[in-house]
Amino acid sequence: MKKQLTAALTLGLIASSLAACSGGGNATPSASPADSTPATQTEATATPGNDSGSGEKVTLTYAIWDSNQEKGLRTIADEFEAANSDIKINIEVTGWSEYWTMLEAGATGGSLPDVFWMHSNEIYRYASNGMLLDLNDKIAASQAVKLENFPEGLNQIYNFEGKQYAVPKDFDTIGLWYNKTMFDDAGLKYPDESWTWDDLHSAAKALTKDDVYGVLAPMHNQEGYYNFVYQNGGTIITDDKRSGYDDPKTIEALEFYINLVKEGLSPAVFDDAGRGELIKNGKVAMGFFGSWNLSGFTENEYMAKNFDVAVLPKKEKQASIYNGLGHAIAHNTKYPEQAWKFVEYLSSKEGQERQAELGVAISAYKGAADLWLNSNKTFNIKAFVDMVDYGVIRPYSNTTATWEDKAYEALAPAFTGKATVEEAAKNAAKVMNESLAQEK
Amino acid sequence: MNRLAAKRISRQTWGEWSWGWFLIAPTIIGLVVLNIIPIIQTAFLSLHKSGDFGRGNIYVGFDNYVKMFQDAQVWHAVGNTLLYALLVVPTSIALSLVVAVFLNGKIRGKSIYRTIYFIPMVAAPAAVTMVWRWLYNEHFGLINYVLSRIGINAVDWVGNPKLSLFSIAIIGIWSVIGYNMVLLLAGLQEIPKDYYEASDIDGASKMRQFFMITLPLLSPTLFFVIVTSLIQAMQVFDVIYMMIDVMSPAYNNTVSLVYLFYNNSFKYSNKGYGSAIVMLLLLIIMVITFIQMRAQKKWVNYM
Repeated sequence: MKKQLTAALTLGLIASSLAACSGGGNATPSASPADSTPATQTEATATPGNDSGSGEKVTLTYAIWDSNQEKGLRTIADEFEAANSDIKINIEVTGWSEYWTMLEAGATGGSLPDVFWMHSNEIYRYASNGMLLDLNDKIAASQAVKLENFPEGLNQIYNFEGKQYAVPKDFDTIGLWYNKTMFDDAGLKYPDESWTWDDLHSAAKALTKDDVYGVLAPMHNQEGYYNFVYQNGGTIITDDKRSGYDDPKTIEALEFYINLVKEGLSPAVFDDAGRGELIKNGKVAMGFFGSWNLSGFTENEYMAKNFDVAVLPKKEKQASIYNGLGHAIAHNTKYPEQAWKFVEYLSSKEGQERQAELGVAISAYKGAADLWLNSNKTFNIKAFVDMVDYGVIRPYSNTTATWEDKAYEALAPAFTGKATVEEAAKNAAKVMNESLAQEK
Repeated sequence: MNRLAAKRISRQTWGEWSWGWFLIAPTIIGLVVLNIIPIIQTAFLSLHKSGDFGRGNIYVGFDNYVKMFQDAQVWHAVGNTLLYALLVVPTSIALSLVVAVFLNGKIRGKSIYRTIYFIPMVAAPAAVTMVWRWLYNEHFGLINYVLSRIGINAVDWVGNPKLSLFSIAIIGIWSVIGYNMVLLLAGLQEIPKDYYEASDIDGASKMRQFFMITLPLLSPTLFFVIVTSLIQAMQVFDVIYMMIDVMSPAYNNTVSLVYLFYNNSFKYSNKGYGSAIVMLLLLIIMVITFIQMRAQKKWVNYM
């Protein structure tokens, strides 16, 4: 008897071993009825849209991934609610990587948030599968939103086959953060726009002391070697969607960058949290961080006291990776009119200027960035806006998220010294091309 | 008369049967809905190239499996998973057995100790891992701080490919001891005291009692604990997921099958391939468990 019990329990456990893993498998059949929804949805949604006039309160979910921006956006949402008494905005914050898992589950199960942030890495999948509301007509009919007021490069990211699926929200560039105190102690001049790679290298050398590294050159693409690749005239992805990692210019840039680690001027860092810890604890004198870190750095006492930010150094030319988020609406939202009203406000001159004034992010709207400059007196944040002129849109294709990870895996041995930079880069090109081939 | 009796008996049997089914229905329904159906779906999905958002799956036969057998990373993951299980299961069971035997004896404050050992099991794995991450931190961690005090250089516990799986296994062992201990304690308390009294009279030492009485009579519980902890260890995910990122140089030395499945299914949206990886895991677990079921005849004593 007891033996059978044990056997039964064991079998049950084996079965449950699979159940834990089958979240992915589960999704398929349950979602297949959803295939028919986009067609019927338009009719269905028309009704609640009309209802709104009758004074019934509508709650919109607004999903974002950056908790640093929540406070400012809440203020904007409150102002929007005050002007539109029939709409309530519910902001939901989910961390970056969980955000996409959450959104995918929502898209598969037909329960996307009404309004949410979109990113260049993921737009293709959502747009090509009809998960997002086509905004063409709404923009055409709107007084407040004119796409020509936003940078063309950002509009393009969220345009799929001629349809606009998101309106740019903000943009970000990468800056060179430097520890003023350490520069003073070493008697060095602060970085400025005349700085070249050689200046960076010699400063890093001068600043490297017993337990302080001169610079932080982590294995990070957007806030790391991508910038150097484009400064050197290389590329990550070519126009015909091939990997640029085997481009000699790209390899040259990677060699310079990884040499900072090999020469002991930078620690070898691979994780996001580690980068922040090192710079906030005074273990590195210089680091490359995006403009979205601003509020976090301002709140950090040590950073606020000792650090400032400058434009990135140049080689052949100046370059900084430049990207921007967009506001998208779910294809099957129950309240398309209200959702658009909110996105319209967020994308209007007024909404964009509020976002800049409050220091939430660098607003994408033409001229609004100047207002953003006044939002922070701690750092010389003008550097971030200056870099837009020569900003390079963050490389992307239809499966960015996949090949970015594969490239990281291939490049890691170069950072640890297990492989030469050239080998690693060629390997990265190979795996990236394999991944790109899957796109077709 | 005869037919009537047969009918009556069968009605009674029917009644018993339906009661039986009724009573196990919650478990059966749960098992079918949460386990059996997903298994079939996963097997089905593993034969497809999955479309985005669960739409437009294309049948590709065994392509995912062919690709999987050529994928070096899958074999890394198989190796890592087995090594992890090999590190965690014997150590944790040996330790929890020792703890259980001691806590079964006459010790002051037994229940306090039992609680202390069980706490890691109650704490959320994600939270526990965050604490361990700080302990292990190369630059600011407590462990390296203590080591620096006695003159040992900083060790990169998590990032060093040679060390990281061991660091992770330590967390695994630490967190599972309490649970195994409770199961073993229950087993220990089922052993009749008479055996010990009789052997005392015969003059057996405590050591001999342990090996001749405790261990054989504990073997059914021990068997259950070994089988379940092995299955659990083979499914390791949360600790590795929290500690090691794809970018980490230790990734290939630590990635487990479930982590690889997660990355492929959810990060790279390749659910077909992810399902194939999970089917491989199922196969491995089934083979190991089958061997264990066979081997139990050799060493498990049912009273």
